[in-house]
Amino acid sequence: MLTRLLVVVLAATALASACARGGGPSITVVIAEYSKDHTRPFWQALVEQYGKQGGAKVDLRIIDWNTIDQQVSTMIQNNQPPDVLNLNSFSSYARDGLLYAADDVLSSTTRDDFLEAFARGGQYQGKLYGLPILSSARAFFYNRDLFAKAGLAGPPKTWDELVQAAKKLQALGDGVIGYALPLGPEEAQAEWAIWMWNGGGDWKAGDTWAINSEPNVRTLGFLSDLANRHRVTQVNPGKTNRTDGAFQLFKDGKVGMVIGFSPLAKQLDAEGKVKYGVAEMPTTLARPVTLGVEDYLMAFKKKDNREAVKKFLDLYYQPDNITRWITAEGFLPVTKSGLERMRANAALKPYLDALPNARLVPTTDPAWDRVKLDVQQTIGLAVQPGGNPKQVLDQLQRNAVAAAAR
Amino acid sequence: MRARRWEALLWLGPSLALIGGVVVYPAVALIRASLGRYSITGVYQGSVGVDNYARLLEQPALPTVLVNTAVWVVAVVAVTVVVSLALAQLLNHDFAGRALVRWALIVPWAASLIMTAKLFVWIYDYYFGALNYVLTSLGVLARPVDWLGEDATVMAAMMAVGIFVSLPFTTYVLLAGLASIPGDVYEAARVDGASTWAAYRRVTLPLLKPALLVAVVLNVIYVFNSFPIVWTLNDRNPGFGHDTMITYMYKIAFKSALRDIGLAAALGVVNVLLILLAVVAYLRTVRWDDADAVAPART
Repeated sequence: MLTRLLVVVLAATALASACARGGGPSITVVIAEYSKDHTRPFWQALVEQYGKQGGAKVDLRIIDWNTIDQQVSTMIQNNQPPDVLNLNSFSSYARDGLLYAADDVLSSTTRDDFLEAFARGGQYQGKLYGLPILSSARAFFYNRDLFAKAGLAGPPKTWDELVQAAKKLQALGDGVIGYALPLGPEEAQAEWAIWMWNGGGDWKAGDTWAINSEPNVRTLGFLSDLANRHRVTQVNPGKTNRTDGAFQLFKDGKVGMVIGFSPLAKQLDAEGKVKYGVAEMPTTLARPVTLGVEDYLMAFKKKDNREAVKKFLDLYYQPDNITRWITAEGFLPVTKSGLERMRANAALKPYLDALPNARLVPTTDPAWDRVKLDVQQTIGLAVQPGGNPKQVLDQLQRNAVAAAAR
Repeated sequence: MRARRWEALLWLGPSLALIGGVVVYPAVALIRASLGRYSITGVYQGSVGVDNYARLLEQPALPTVLVNTAVWVVAVVAVTVVVSLALAQLLNHDFAGRALVRWALIVPWAASLIMTAKLFVWIYDYYFGALNYVLTSLGVLARPVDWLGEDATVMAAMMAVGIFVSLPFTTYVLLAGLASIPGDVYEAARVDGASTWAAYRRVTLPLLKPALLVAVVLNVIYVFNSFPIVWTLNDRNPGFGHDTMITYMYKIAFKSALRDIGLAAALGVVNVLLILLAVVAYLRTVRWDDADAVAPART
């Protein structure tokens, strides 16, 4: 009896898994959800197009950013990695030997189409593993109405001008905030990177981490002063996230200045409540630096999946497809052909102009995946009352060196 | 006889399979994971024995998190039970609109915890929140407070939400307990000349003890394991200063520089043991109290 029961259960399980596989070859594609409106429709359509062209069956999973790290980690723990994965990091996966190099899964036309900087940003030990999927560049947003009210002629170019402008804005009263500084855990590494670079510092000096360099300590001290000495930021900047904190306040017209990006512009345009301008970052350097962010597609090495994956990736990278999606989401191109096509859009001009000079965070270093999380969880403490910028950066540096040695 | 035994197994099979799949397998997987080393991507890199447990004790944040957890569980459960006792008493009486109040009480229970937590994030907001607006308008506060950003207020703000969502369940458990107390014992108490308060203390509370016990034990487990409230209301704060064991475990696994599945699994095992220990300790204390307190009443 028990054996018969067991047989039934086993047969049912086998049947279920056979149904899931649908007989033919199938691939799992995991995509991060950039927006509720555009991500799923685009990828669903792409999967259908792929099917019509005789591609394999696709198990498409759209996962929100909050849980994607957890879900992907679980898939890999269970020995069921996806075939194609979209994420904001790649080098740890390359180091663990899980990925195909680009030569194996992309046609040479596609590979040659990548913008130089982004192709470099996807390399691990000299080989391209992280295929750029889209990019964004940060820019300095200011509220034109508040600027006019405060008698400010234009956006500040230097840090001194920024402090003066922020003081005048804050002096307007009525809850107006000079500069919205989000150093809470959500995206602190991005906010910090832009300030750090414009203060003359960097993440690394050559091959070694340099998070607690002298210019960096000075910059973090400057940010702490904005909050605690000049008092021109929102309350508790070390505990404010970007999306529901700084951006929300700017969209509500309460904030004079904030670092934003093209999707924020899209939302502001849609709401039509705030008249804003977009400018280059105030800087201590001769030329301002901005942050470019590159997200990736990765192809996982699995038995007999190379052809199916290659076909899928080449379909995504067809200029029509990739540009359609990037435009819909409000992001920036990663290919030369995409850049040409998107130039026509005047609204994107400030970001596209900034793109060639944008700097990327060191995603090519596997230690970055830990450093990023460490910065997110600690740097905010430095700008809280009583925080110690030097101490925080020293600790980050020690942890980064330890992470690099792992 | 043998055949009957197989038959019994067949009937028990589905529930045994369910228990095996939902309780035993995850527990085994958790323990196995806690003995392993994982790369940041999730690739298993071999066994490390009890190394993860040793490293857990070295984590500088652990004492803070333990204290947070104790404060969180004790305060939320204690306040919840006290308020629920009053609410249950109220709902046990007949009054106009009782049905409506009983239904209204279910709402916080029925709503998803994440939704409730998000709602409170906005209520507590420094700039847009209703709470600051009301308190400053009434003159209770001179200036708004950043409830979720100030170290002094975060925990209390989270506990208020924890209590809010625990009330419905607890109240209904106690209400069921009240309903099971027969009316004649009160009659007897009245004949003996007991005041309302004395009747409540000497009759209601002792007879409510089984329901109270259930309410406390289940609440301790729920509140200890509560993730969404602490996670959502605390997501803006860097570090581990306001985490409980459960959110700390999640951060170790996925959101901090540690990103360590093995270490997080070790903490998971510790969490299970901790809650078991707490419940057993509580039950023993209560039973011991029980014998002392109830014995004279019986004479």
